[in-house]
Amino acid sequence: MARKTHYDGGTSHPDSLTLRSSLHLGARIALLGLVPALLSAQDGATGIVAGRVTARGVDTGTALVAAGATVTIAGTVASALTGPDGRYLLERVRVGPATVRFRLLGYRTVERIVRVSAGDTARVDVVLQSDAQLLSAVRTQARAVDAELFGASPNVSTIAMGSAAMAGVPSVGEPDLVRVVQLLPGVVARNDYNTGLNVRGGEGDQNLVLLDGYPVYNPFHFGGLFSTFMDATVGGIELMTGAPPSRYGGRLSSVLEVRSLDDPRTGIHATADISALAATGRLSGAFAGGRGTWSVAGRRTYADALQSIFTNNVFPYHFRDLHARGTYELPGGARLSVTAYEGKDVLDANLAEFATDSVPTKAAGGKWAYDWGNLVVGSTLSKELGPVRSSLFGWALGDSTTLEQRVSTSGFSTRLDLGEGTLTQRSAIRDVRFSGSVLTRGMSHDRSIGYEVAAHRIRYASGSTQTGTTGFDLEQRPNTGVLWIDDLWRVSSRWLVQGGVRAEALSGRDWAGLSPRLSVKYLATPDVAFTLQAGRVTQWMQSLAGDGALRYFDIWIASDSFIPVATAWHYVAGMERRLSVGSVRLEGYVKRYDRVLDANWSEDPGRRGDEFFAAQGLSYGMDLLARWQPANGPGGWLAYSYGLSTRTLDSVRWSPGNDRRHDLDLVATWPLARYRLGAHFGFATGTPYTPIEGQIVRRVYDPTRDHWGTGDPRLLLEPIGGARNSLRFPPTHRLDLDVSREFLFRGATLAPYLSVVNVYYAKNVFVYVYDYSTDRPTRRAISQFPVLPSLGVRIGF
Amino acid sequence: MLLLVSACDIEKVGIATTEARLATHGLLSASALTQVVLLERTRNGTVQSIAPPFDLEDPLLTDEGIAESGAVITLSTPSGANILAREDYPANGDGSGRGVYRFQLPGVALERGGTYRLTVLTTKGEVIKGETVVPGGATALVAEPRAFDRSRDTASISWPAAAGARSYYVRIETPFGPRAFFTDSTRVRLTGKLRNADIRLLPHVFIPGFPQAVTVSAVDSNFYDWYRTRSDPLSGRGLLNHVSGGFGFFGSLVRIRFEELHVVAPQAEAVAGNYRVIGSQDELAIAPYLTLSVYVESPSARSDQPDALSGQTHRRVTFSSPGCELCGVLGTAQNGRITLYFLPGWSASDTAEVLTGEIRGDTIVGQYRRAGGIAHFVKQR
Repeated sequence: MARKTHYDGGTSHPDSLTLRSSLHLGARIALLGLVPALLSAQDGATGIVAGRVTARGVDTGTALVAAGATVTIAGTVASALTGPDGRYLLERVRVGPATVRFRLLGYRTVERIVRVSAGDTARVDVVLQSDAQLLSAVRTQARAVDAELFGASPNVSTIAMGSAAMAGVPSVGEPDLVRVVQLLPGVVARNDYNTGLNVRGGEGDQNLVLLDGYPVYNPFHFGGLFSTFMDATVGGIELMTGAPPSRYGGRLSSVLEVRSLDDPRTGIHATADISALAATGRLSGAFAGGRGTWSVAGRRTYADALQSIFTNNVFPYHFRDLHARGTYELPGGARLSVTAYEGKDVLDANLAEFATDSVPTKAAGGKWAYDWGNLVVGSTLSKELGPVRSSLFGWALGDSTTLEQRVSTSGFSTRLDLGEGTLTQRSAIRDVRFSGSVLTRGMSHDRSIGYEVAAHRIRYASGSTQTGTTGFDLEQRPNTGVLWIDDLWRVSSRWLVQGGVRAEALSGRDWAGLSPRLSVKYLATPDVAFTLQAGRVTQWMQSLAGDGALRYFDIWIASDSFIPVATAWHYVAGMERRLSVGSVRLEGYVKRYDRVLDANWSEDPGRRGDEFFAAQGLSYGMDLLARWQPANGPGGWLAYSYGLSTRTLDSVRWSPGNDRRHDLDLVATWPLARYRLGAHFGFATGTPYTPIEGQIVRRVYDPTRDHWGTGDPRLLLEPIGGARNSLRFPPTHRLDLDVSREFLFRGATLAPYLSVVNVYYAKNVFVYVYDYSTDRPTRRAISQFPVLPSLGVRIGF
Repeated sequence: MLLLVSACDIEKVGIATTEARLATHGLLSASALTQVVLLERTRNGTVQSIAPPFDLEDPLLTDEGIAESGAVITLSTPSGANILAREDYPANGDGSGRGVYRFQLPGVALERGGTYRLTVLTTKGEVIKGETVVPGGATALVAEPRAFDRSRDTASISWPAAAGARSYYVRIETPFGPRAFFTDSTRVRLTGKLRNADIRLLPHVFIPGFPQAVTVSAVDSNFYDWYRTRSDPLSGRGLLNHVSGGFGFFGSLVRIRFEELHVVAPQAEAVAGNYRVIGSQDELAIAPYLTLSVYVESPSARSDQPDALSGQTHRRVTFSSPGCELCGVLGTAQNGRITLYFLPGWSASDTAEVLTGEIRGDTIVGQYRRAGGIAHFVKQR
């Protein structure tokens, strides 16, 4: 394991591994490494179950290879995924009758009873039938994705959810994945106007958001109101709120993996979603006899266009998204997939064109341009080797091995231009990333080893071409290297252990770190499990966005000689019980931040080193998730979180702006024959805020006349803040409803829907605005969402 | 966007008053005849802020300030001498000047690189302290005039580095308010297309017909920090405060470049040109405005909106009507209709007279809104 100790003038960087911290860390690793050894158990005689899974499309009848299907033995933790060729292998299956269960998203679950003989292989091949559906081949049937993970891995602090489970959740203007994620336990939404995620006391920049495994740096549109993920393109999500498996890294609080929706149907299929806010279209299908799938989707808001058609006014904003995805089964069991995403927010205007008003000099107005967006392109090549009895890196390859190689580039940029070059500000982050892994599945171990190297380019600059001046210009070119190993050990029918280590190195700061991760699951019964987790996480990319109530977008800066690497430890203990139609999970957690970076509001962009304050932090609490996911009838979940977070800097302690004590969300969807009903009720204690205790006028000196004040009518009035986050907003509550109905029309399906947010108009406070300019000071409360109806229609054919 | 559309007031309540804290703005200027410190109270909800017409001689009370009178303010010089400030208020004798404290210390006497310490002691015993190190650099005392055609010229201004300067404060006076920014460079290049990013509408910085001062000042870190930072409107965090015992700043400034650009532009449009008032001898004898120089400052971006005009006028100065002889003009023109706003000086913050009328060929015929009467201005060839 690579380890680097950095000395700088005799004083080590606080985040490098000094001798003392290495010993401390070594002790933890040793302790974590001992746990699996203590968990060994005896098994009786076993056999093997193997076979091949294919899937038949509802419209073509063609049987296609079913890659990624989950195969389990009912009542045990034995589990496997089918490879790119649809083959699977389950080892150490107890002799005797066994129920083999096959699951694949969008297809009916199939069960086969086989008799397993000692030392023999029972072969079971199945063909999965597509679920009947109306709008999309793979979206409308609820599927208990997390049930498949229950027996397959420790799965601590992980919530998996298929797109079908998210359908029907009331939406705000536009169905939005991240708003659904905000309703999960451990996730706090700062307010209605922000789709940023605050996970278990973490800040909004502490979440790794991945699209098919490729990072998305700024997964939000304007002001955080909407996420960049089009509902029609999402196949499912996996949210990890604790210490994730060692293949993930780079963020302190969570991983949100978003999986694109693949369409295995042959021919060309289309869906459209026209909402009050935007129009989304998607074309998809399969080709080459089912060996490949493809999809392209786009979305654009159109308030600007409507405004110009019907009025003389100018609405200068729109956002757009483009998403493309393709997969192809290559000869020899290899599989190639490509994902591309491009999104853009455009806030450009010529102020002289604004309609109006009595201002006579409107023609004198200038132009401003404010654009920002993401670009993600990535490709993954994977190959299933099948049973290989050789060795690699000293490890015996298992009965099936998956090789995977990824290459991707992700970027996010912002551009502000006021007055055609009078004042410009640009920020950009771009990476080129290569990563790969080898996963071997054996009788009791699924071992994986992987690497990732990435080159980053970061630029944050401000200046003026009209004055020939540069405000600041920060350029960073850090490179990172990561090696990770992971071992999922099925110790016995009752114990599952997943452990790993992530070794990371960062140029620019000359930093290296080791992050061990360990998760343990004990199945007291086939349906009841207890879990433990501990792990270290690091973050060397920080956002300057700060801790404000609104999060427009992130401006990322890498750790370097001025900015330390943030680190934290997660500790989780939990219990989960599977029910016939759902599950209940309770987890307690402690997250200790050895270093969490607090953006400096007063930083001098012209100088380095004052961008962040390195604070300490502590978050702890408990999350409860109760899900019910019957095949028919109403489904949904109840999420309750209790949390407490503090930050400490120079003996000053405060609660971060996301610190909620109680957060309750009840989500229900009810698919009927033609109708689908959805409801959400939320209750949460208020978040902290800083009271304004007065106002000061900033006087301006006129060096031309050597006088104070100019008579300029604009008064520079500055609020004076009190103790940071020392008060709390009142509790918030809200009921949202959604209803849709499906019509069949000439082979197409039309599903108009109506969502109403805040049905009973709860007056939830967004912010307070203070006025101390009168002889009786006042405080105005600005609302969060009022009653907000959204109309739309989904079309599929 | 949705916030703008959907957020609304749901409650407005009275809250308790808070402590009114001391706030000071103190600056040592190398070009000033005297050094002025402003002392006031922060707004805490006990005083109704009022804003009568702004008066340069009374910059606190006429600009919504809550002046703090009667304080003892001392300046310690690098040589160890202590200078006592005198408040303008009683000395003025007209009730003005409250909270305006003046040191009889000319800027030329300031010791460059020297540390000056300010101590404020109020009648309630509160103390504010601050200190500044005066930057170096030769003081620019007189403005250098320069013609500036904004359609083709670029003003290149450079200056030698000033010892001890944290940054350079560049400020351009415009009719709509100054455009100011900091730079660490020792030169700026001001194009004629420059826009004023300090004003929401982003108007041009350079307005044809107007003389516009450009100053470059070497400033200390206190000045730089106080004016480069802002408080977050929701949390009140962010403003950097470098005085102890209160809010505000005590800094120093050396004006090292001082230019006055006389801004012009081509007068190609039909309405643009130089006009002279005409009329009978009696009419001319009382005409308040004698000439007009009119420019199309910005042509309209939409057919339903007027062009923006700018320019200057020669004004008749009389005993009963003192003020500027050469004054600024702003206005609009659309479909043959014209409105001209005659300014009492060069600032658009106030209007002395308004002329509304028509453009008839080479003649502007209009009526004064305040003084009444018809005026004819004929374009000069």
